[in-house]
Amino acid sequence: MKRVLVSDPDGDVVSLLEATLRRLGYEPVRDPREGPLPEVDAVVLEPGCREGRSLLRRLGDAAPPVICFSIYPREAGLAPPGSAAYVVKPGSRVQLGAALATLFAA
Amino acid sequence: MRVLPRASRRLQAFPRATLVAIVGGFATFSLMAGAELTAELGSIAFAPWIALVGFDVGALAGVAASVAATGLWVWASTLDAGAPAATGPQVAIRLAIFASLGASAGVVARRLHRSEAAQRSIASLQSDLIDATLDGICLTDEQGEILISNAPLRRIAVELGLPPTGTVSDRLIAIAERTTEPHRYRERMLELARDPHTETADEFELKGSGRVFRGYTAPVVEPDGSFAGRVWTLREVTADRELERLRDAFVAAVSHELRTPLTSISGFLEMLADEEAELGETGRRYLSIIRRSTVRLQRIVEDLLLVAQIEAQRLELRYGPADLAELAAACVEAARPAADEKGVLLELHRDGPLPLEADGQRLAQVLDNLVTNAIKFTEEGGRVVVAVTREGSGSVVTVSDTGIGIPPDEVDQLFSRFYRASSARRRAIPGTGLGLVIAQAIVEAHGGTITLQSREGEGTSVSVALPTRPAQRAGAV
Repeated sequence: MKRVLVSDPDGDVVSLLEATLRRLGYEPVRDPREGPLPEVDAVVLEPGCREGRSLLRRLGDAAPPVICFSIYPREAGLAPPGSAAYVVKPGSRVQLGAALATLFAA
Repeated sequence: MRVLPRASRRLQAFPRATLVAIVGGFATFSLMAGAELTAELGSIAFAPWIALVGFDVGALAGVAASVAATGLWVWASTLDAGAPAATGPQVAIRLAIFASLGASAGVVARRLHRSEAAQRSIASLQSDLIDATLDGICLTDEQGEILISNAPLRRIAVELGLPPTGTVSDRLIAIAERTTEPHRYRERMLELARDPHTETADEFELKGSGRVFRGYTAPVVEPDGSFAGRVWTLREVTADRELERLRDAFVAAVSHELRTPLTSISGFLEMLADEEAELGETGRRYLSIIRRSTVRLQRIVEDLLLVAQIEAQRLELRYGPADLAELAAACVEAARPAADEKGVLLELHRDGPLPLEADGQRLAQVLDNLVTNAIKFTEEGGRVVVAVTREGSGSVVTVSDTGIGIPPDEVDQLFSRFYRASSARRRAIPGTGLGLVIAQAIVEAHGGTITLQSREGEGTSVSVALPTRPAQRAGAV
């Protein structure tokens, strides 16, 4: 089962992402915020906040594919270079599922 | 207010008029007594001097002058050997006539003075009034030379660094390079100089300082229809624009933040929908209401964000092949359940395929908005017609309804942000007042036009005309 790291400043959104990923057949992993990062196959994060930017820094060059899930539009230019997909909130399970499916099919 | 000499209409008083009258009176007496011309001149020769004193000093002085003049005439008659001696009745009659003349002249003068004072008072009040406004105001003649200007205009002219002489158009053109859009600004001024009948309002911003001014000008027309000049007003609107910018930034920030709770609501709603079968009838009804409200809330947030993009001139269009007839058909089908539920007849009239190059998603948004509005503002039993036709090299889609309509004086404001027609507010029909703003921005970004005609109580018709291919294709507008 593919493991997906989730990060969002809002606890409810983190819970939603975990539940959504489980229903989509993936194993969600919450961002530990401190300490070593778990090994994951993809990351879903909010790039428009401190937590998201911190996670990106900690992931560094060896970051797995990143899916942005943001309150800001893509035009805001927050997506890190090379990010795999960009979903504007509130989005839907279908959009997230499609982004992950495309990513893992590649 | 400054009135230039050309327009000056100041009434002058009669300086030293009484002195002139006295000298004149004695000169008349001298001619009568010295040159023995009493009979030739007659007592009437004193009349102008009596009238002058009465006019200059007042009725009583006029009466006094008439007594003095009668006395001089009697004296001259006695000194002039060739003149008959004045009789008692002749003296009495002359005294009465002269007294009437002197008093009347005094009364007329008093009335004239009062009238003049009143005019001066009104002129002074008008001057104070025009100087007390925030707007700089001036009136120019047919050639564009300033006839009258108020204090705020002179202050603004100094602040803008306008040249002190020349026509208004020339002075304004002189600062074109200091504005943020010199080309547009200059063209606008030349257009005004060319066409005396243009009435226009526009804004310009100064480079560097960010100061924004709003100008308005309209022709002044004589009763016979000829061009007499032009009135100009100029107002600084920097604070207004800054307030609008802050408001837009605030709305955008709040709207972005609203997406976070909306994510949880709509996401967990999806989860709950998976278990919908397990819910009872009441639970399913509640779920349906939550879902509907969530979609509505989501639409409001998206509209607010789109308007923020439009205001910031960041509306992005993704051009591609589209078919206006197909878009209209899809929109009508999507809206049919709502129309059926409300008991509104929804019809589509189409000629055939109407291909065009456009952002299909955005155009669909425009059509959805217009059709949703039409259904929303039409009572049960009413009719909404969506007609798509080819016109010239473009296409036109018209959405007409038999709904509540809009008062005529509100039609122009419907394309302003957050404005809602009074007919909609009275009936408590929900809405944000953003739909038409968004529709207009999208249509104009495609190089098209949107027009609205309405009669309160009879219905509304909105037409969108689009070119087959936008003249100036651009990713952003």
